[in-house]
Amino acid sequence: MSGAGNREQVFPTRMTLGVMKGKLKGAQTGHSLLKRKSEALTKRFRDITKRIDDAKRKMGRVMQTAAFSLAEVSYATGGNIGFQVQESISNNARFKVKSRQENVSGVYLPQFEADINESINDFKMTGLGRGGQQIQKAREVYSKSVETLVDLASLQTAFVILDDVIKVTNRRVNAIEHVIIPRTENTISYINSELDELDREEFYRLKKVQEKKQIATAAADALMAAKKLKEEQDRLNELEKHEIDDVEKLVVKDEVVKEEESEVNTKANDDDNTDLVNETEGDVIF
Amino acid sequence: MEGLFFNIDAGYIEGLVRGYKNSLITSSQYINLSQCDNLEDLKLQLSATDYGNFLADINQTLSTSIIEQKLNKKLIEDFNYIRSQATYPLSKFMDFITYSYMIDNILLIITGTIHNRDKAEILKKCNPLGWFDTLPTLSITTDLNSLYETVLIDTPLAKYFHNCLSIDDLDDLNIEIIRNILYKEYLEDFHNFCVTELPNPTDEIMDRLLNFEADKRTINICINSIDTDLSTEEKMKMLPSIGLLTSNDSIKYQLSELSDLENLKILISSVGPYKEFFNDSSSSSTAGGKSLEDSFYEYEMNLNRNAFTQQFTYSTIWAYIKSKEQEIRNIAWISECIAQNQKDKINNYISVY
Repeated sequence: MSGAGNREQVFPTRMTLGVMKGKLKGAQTGHSLLKRKSEALTKRFRDITKRIDDAKRKMGRVMQTAAFSLAEVSYATGGNIGFQVQESISNNARFKVKSRQENVSGVYLPQFEADINESINDFKMTGLGRGGQQIQKAREVYSKSVETLVDLASLQTAFVILDDVIKVTNRRVNAIEHVIIPRTENTISYINSELDELDREEFYRLKKVQEKKQIATAAADALMAAKKLKEEQDRLNELEKHEIDDVEKLVVKDEVVKEEESEVNTKANDDDNTDLVNETEGDVIF
Repeated sequence: MEGLFFNIDAGYIEGLVRGYKNSLITSSQYINLSQCDNLEDLKLQLSATDYGNFLADINQTLSTSIIEQKLNKKLIEDFNYIRSQATYPLSKFMDFITYSYMIDNILLIITGTIHNRDKAEILKKCNPLGWFDTLPTLSITTDLNSLYETVLIDTPLAKYFHNCLSIDDLDDLNIEIIRNILYKEYLEDFHNFCVTELPNPTDEIMDRLLNFEADKRTINICINSIDTDLSTEEKMKMLPSIGLLTSNDSIKYQLSELSDLENLKILISSVGPYKEFFNDSSSSSTAGGKSLEDSFYEYEMNLNRNAFTQQFTYSTIWAYIKSKEQEIRNIAWISECIAQNQKDKINNYISVY
């Protein structure tokens, strides 16, 4: 990727991560929407280009007929009727252009429409004496050519506007695709790595604490055990001391009961053994 | 007898006009012209004709309007030369020819005045044939009463205006009506002059020519006013009372009554020479190969050509002027077709010589 440096300057916190994820999601939605808009506009654009081509060709033909019909007029009237026509124009326009707006994927395109008021005919009397029919014919043909011009004007305007809008939209799409999304992704991965790092540190610290704790426990245990052992030892010693006393008593008794001696000895040994068992039991309980 | 003294006054002029007539562009020359690929070729072809000198000094790029302008200049020079040689009654006859252009010029100025246009600009657009000294002063007057009393009264057209002009007539729509009323008055006056003042072969030929001119206007007015809301009375005022169609009052009335093309056709076809017109043109407009206008022009040109067959007559001048005008239209048409690359209609010109 374009380097870890290309990211937003944020604190790597969990909250920022959430914000960034939201931003990425928004950017992706926006990207797909804009892409769709751009496609719709491009489709329209191609359509208009085709229609402009048609209209221009048509205009060429119509203009040619119109110019020729004017030649016919000048042939039939034998003179220049331009002045008569100009001067007979009244204030009411016969040919009006209406403008309305059309919405194509959020772009407002102006649409021009020709509106002819058939009842207004300013120079119907021109050429009454000669060439009147040719004049009317020329008028009709020229009205047609103006209509074609109006069509063409509306298409051309749409063309220019759409061209601009498509450029802007494509720039946005590309900006989102190549700048915003990668940067946000970078930021997210940066935040993630930072968070992971923090996690690892935390884990290690926990482990370390545990370790220390274990060591401490072990030491405490050992101490306790040593203590116990010592106590036991003391008790044993005490017991031994008793035994010795007993033995001494027995020795005293020995003289009294000689033949019972061996039997008592075995009994003492037995007692010793039970004590040991008791001792271990006490240890466990501690 | 009529030829006996004719040449004393008009012999030179007739010779001149017949000479001019011979330099009119012929059918074969038209064919050559229509073969041209661009306007330079056309100019080259025309340089072999009388127009050579006039087209030689074109510096800017050729266009139909420039060619037309130059050709018109030639016509005007020819006309003015003849006019300067003429004596009465020929001079009067030639004045009459200019009156129709004057009507157009005056109406042009009036229209311009109504709309407050620049005077110099309008004067440039006036036809030089219809020029007269007081023409520029027309635009000075602002209200129409003074226009008539101070300016028009001095022009030869005063008597025509007198019959039709009232103040409230002069708005946009009425300009055309006035134009046609003036034209009607003018044609009738001219006809009257030809028949009463001029010697024998001229009056006959001019009668024929002017009658046709009147009929042409009548038919045009009737056809072109079908879609308009002109009343019968207004139409009646505009239709000349000479001519084959309108000299008969009942036909004239019917013409102004009718408001659909089919009945009009039937009515006009019932008059001898005009039978053919509507057969050729399948509809009134140029749907077929030949328009009504073309038929008119062709018929008119035939009349003009026939006018040359008589000698000792002033009508040759009229015929020459009209032929020349048609020639200019033809050349303009051909050059327009060449300039616009519409070769399939290039043969619509009318050539009779």
